[in-house]
Amino acid sequence: MGLLPDEAKVLPPPGIVNRNSVWFGLCGWATAMLHNSLNRRPALKAGVHRQALFTTVGWFIGYHLTKYENYKYATLDRDMNEYMRLHPEQFPEKEPKTFAEIVEPFHPIR
Amino acid sequence: MPFGRLFIVLNMNGFSLFSVFSRNSFIASKPDPSKPNMLRVGLAFGSTAVLWALLFKQHSTDVHEYKTRNGLE
Repeated sequence: MGLLPDEAKVLPPPGIVNRNSVWFGLCGWATAMLHNSLNRRPALKAGVHRQALFTTVGWFIGYHLTKYENYKYATLDRDMNEYMRLHPEQFPEKEPKTFAEIVEPFHPIR
Repeated sequence: MPFGRLFIVLNMNGFSLFSVFSRNSFIASKPDPSKPNMLRVGLAFGSTAVLWALLFKQHSTDVHEYKTRNGLE
């Protein structure tokens, strides 16, 4: 983890198939197909090595981006929970109300 | 491949707006798709394989680190 500190290793790593990987992989594949089209080659059948390489690069970047995203959200959650722990007066426990108490009385007009 | 036709539509106006993308300045030989540059193809596939291997290794290292640090193994 180049941009992530050591504490990020406590978090569960994302799966190989994850949202960012799939999206960036598809973007890479679309880039390769666009490159084919702009050079007047058949979009899908030409330059398969390029399509594979671009898809892989996108997938790789997506995986590390997911790890970074997980770490950022985890730090935000930790800070929020710590704040809630230090200021309990700002977060009072409310009694759950039933629907009977919330809903207005029904007067049918027929 | 109907999906490929979507991209070829860009050149339907007769002259190609995109010839500048593939024209070399002085040597100007048309790239021949029947004679691929096998070195480049090999490098592309090779680096693809390397990247996938790196990804799987990194993933297994991460899983192992996670399990060790949380005392699950």
